[in-house]
Amino acid sequence: MSATTAFVDALAGLDRSELGAHAGLRRALRGSGLGPPEAILHPSDTAQTAEVMRSASEHGFGVLPFTSGAHREPARPSAATSPNRPWLGLCTDRLRGIEVYEAADLTLTAGAGTSMEEIDTALRANGQWAPFDPPHARDRSLGGLVADGGFGPLATGYGELRNHVLGMTAVTGDGRVLRLGGRVVKNVAGFDLVRAVTGSRGSLAILTSVTVRAFPLPAVDLVLSLRAARLEELLEAAARVRTAPVLPASCLLYERPDGEGEGAVLLVRLHGAASTVDADRTRLAAHLGRPLDVVAADRAAAAVVHARDAAWGRAVRLELSARPSRLSPLLGIVRAMDPVELALDPFTGRLRVGLEAVEADTVETLSASVEAAGGALRVSAAPSPGVVGMGTTLSEDEARLTDDLRRAFDPRGVLWPAYA
Amino acid sequence: MSVPLSSKTVRDLRSIVGAAHVITDPDRLLAYESDGLTQYRAAPSAAVLPASSDEVARVVERLHGEGIAIVPRGAGTGLSGGALPSEGAVVLGTARMNRILEVDPDDRLAVVQPGVTNARLTEATRPFDLYYAPDPSSQSTCTLGGNVAENSGGPHCLKYGVTSRYVTGLTVVLAGGRVARLGGSGRVASGGLDLTGLFVGSEGCFGIATAIEVRLLPLPASVRTLLAIFDTMEAAGHAVTGIIGSGLMPAAVEIIDRATIEAVEASVFAAGYPKGVGAALVVEFDGTEAGLDADADRAERCCLEVGAREVRRARSEEERLGLWKGRKKAFGAMGRIAPDLLVQDATVPRTRLPHVLASITEIGKQYELRIANVFHAGDGNLHPNILFDRADPDELERVERASHEIMKLCVDAGGTITGEHGVGIDKRAYMGLVHNETELDMLRRVRGVFDADHLFNPGKVVPDAVETPAEPVGSERASAAHAEAGAP
Repeated sequence: MSATTAFVDALAGLDRSELGAHAGLRRALRGSGLGPPEAILHPSDTAQTAEVMRSASEHGFGVLPFTSGAHREPARPSAATSPNRPWLGLCTDRLRGIEVYEAADLTLTAGAGTSMEEIDTALRANGQWAPFDPPHARDRSLGGLVADGGFGPLATGYGELRNHVLGMTAVTGDGRVLRLGGRVVKNVAGFDLVRAVTGSRGSLAILTSVTVRAFPLPAVDLVLSLRAARLEELLEAAARVRTAPVLPASCLLYERPDGEGEGAVLLVRLHGAASTVDADRTRLAAHLGRPLDVVAADRAAAAVVHARDAAWGRAVRLELSARPSRLSPLLGIVRAMDPVELALDPFTGRLRVGLEAVEADTVETLSASVEAAGGALRVSAAPSPGVVGMGTTLSEDEARLTDDLRRAFDPRGVLWPAYA
Repeated sequence: MSVPLSSKTVRDLRSIVGAAHVITDPDRLLAYESDGLTQYRAAPSAAVLPASSDEVARVVERLHGEGIAIVPRGAGTGLSGGALPSEGAVVLGTARMNRILEVDPDDRLAVVQPGVTNARLTEATRPFDLYYAPDPSSQSTCTLGGNVAENSGGPHCLKYGVTSRYVTGLTVVLAGGRVARLGGSGRVASGGLDLTGLFVGSEGCFGIATAIEVRLLPLPASVRTLLAIFDTMEAAGHAVTGIIGSGLMPAAVEIIDRATIEAVEASVFAAGYPKGVGAALVVEFDGTEAGLDADADRAERCCLEVGAREVRRARSEEERLGLWKGRKKAFGAMGRIAPDLLVQDATVPRTRLPHVLASITEIGKQYELRIANVFHAGDGNLHPNILFDRADPDELERVERASHEIMKLCVDAGGTITGEHGVGIDKRAYMGLVHNETELDMLRRVRGVFDADHLFNPGKVVPDAVETPAEPVGSERASAAHAEAGAP
């Protein structure tokens, strides 16, 4: 028995599984140059998670946290990580279950592996919800969602997910357990490490439990739309929505093939009491100079999901952002790349692009234009591992602060970051 | 006691910012000895007032090069002693950096220098029917730089959230004088860590923000304000639970208690509250005109169902200001009835408010202290104010013991020691109530990432590994001016 196997075997009492059981993780590993993990462990609580991390740190193993892995961006070893380094998969699926749900306080604490579907069901039973809608939101785990820090179109009306993560239990790369934030909506007792960990994609710490803010369900969720053959034809209308006196719950302009043929849709959601929504709809139409069509109630939920997931599932995915008013020329460059799907958020200035293929030099050209516009670009999915992660780079100072923060949380580089 | 700077250092600073903007005269430095928490006082070595990001960078480079600590300062309205000078430190004031650099109505954002006051930003964006949402009660005086440092809240953050939700990018001067840009509204796709979010609320310990990009919101079309009067605090608490539980999302829900009402009514700020009432509740809704009356009606029913004595509704802006008057002027009124005032801002889960408030009353009785409560009830952010006389050593000791008990009570109820005022010097000793040594060590490490030598605002926020409790300096009275400027 090798020394490394002995260390893994010594982590007694932990469930294990084989890589073959994790299709999502296998997909995320494709092209990373890494061999299979020494083991995939399933700790059942924070203490076991900390034990794994301490042991891995001591024995020089890397650790990759995941729940299903299905939504993880393709993994890339960092410059400091040898592709031959032995590593463990740490699956958070047993860290599941709602721990505390105080409906009257509008807060919910759950294990990091709890599915958003389970959380959504519990909240809706009390007339509440969590308005976090990155692609495939209901299929994600709470920990995965928070680790990614991704947000969807509802960020316009409700704020990004990171504003609603109130607290977390996190285990650092060397097995220290941190209880950060709390269960109250206002908390400035120390530096905001919750913000640092949220969206760090598992590069600072492994989440074992998260507390988020819940919201009352709106009495009315009205979905409005405008259609056109191409997305560009709706850009002006989208810009008008952005400057309207009404702040919608969400606004997304997308183009993707669907059952009604190819075409572009501007989808706007208005939330509130019936009388409020009705008045907002009228004001919005007046500001746009044209009415928006009401999406029938029986089709609204599907339309919202269709828009939310636009440009996500294609072979190549580009995530681009710029100030909203500077997006139009960038869209012109993107259009020349022959995109299959597009999703543009006119409020947050994000443009997601789904393509069948892309060349590295095309990404470089786009990246230079995005940089010049003060924006950012990242290739978050591509069949070629050399292309994943390409895009604009952090400034020298941001990169240094990022590296130093990683060292503060993970001094021995155990947490194998998803990004180099 | 202040440690004078060398004449060469003073000369160098003057060459950077201009002679008029380096203050070394002890009389003029008095203004920089404390912030809104006046019981802590210490003289800085000097105060420097740069006018640009470049000047800040050069001042920081010059002072840090000599190992001299810098204490950043906005308007000095903070209530946690965050701007208290440490020994030998130079105060770097942002008062001259008061330009609004950009208002972009199309993208709904603004970029400001740190010395711009919160209210001025909203005034500047109002012509575009936009505004800046976080509204600390000191908004007419406090600066955006200070708001960023403290991650400030305000009455309306129940609905709209605190400062960090609105800050989308920063230009910061880091230790040694490096100028760095963090974030930016156009760079959300970068996939990097949220360094902007981490910097917000760092209480001047990470560096100095010299340009702040913020998100703006459309001005609400209309507003409805209610004032409900209750015989007991308990009933007011039930009304809040009923309002929030019914799915309403008020913009603000504020409570003032009997002791505060009596103080207000006895002052020049008398707001016309009936005598002998137990609590007053201010509830405000904003948004599209069409739905507001229905919301206000529902909130009124919630209040009446739990026994509100009366519910008043503002019919004009003048009446609205009248309903808010008791709440807004509470701190000023209390400053007139007691020589000293200790303002806390612990936060508890909203459902624990009745239990915590009853326990605070008991603590007040046990220590024979007058405690008045004014608070953001919607988000559980308490402001128990202990009225006392520092000249009475026995009373001062009881205040300190009661204060510790209140903090512990709130933490035990699932809350935290500060919701919006920050830790500063004042609550550093309480950090051990909410964080264990491992977590405190992590806070120190993260601070070290930004400022390895602790030359920005040393001695604040995180207790030293072996804590030596900070003692209040002097016996300054909580003046009405302080209460006006810094009332939460």
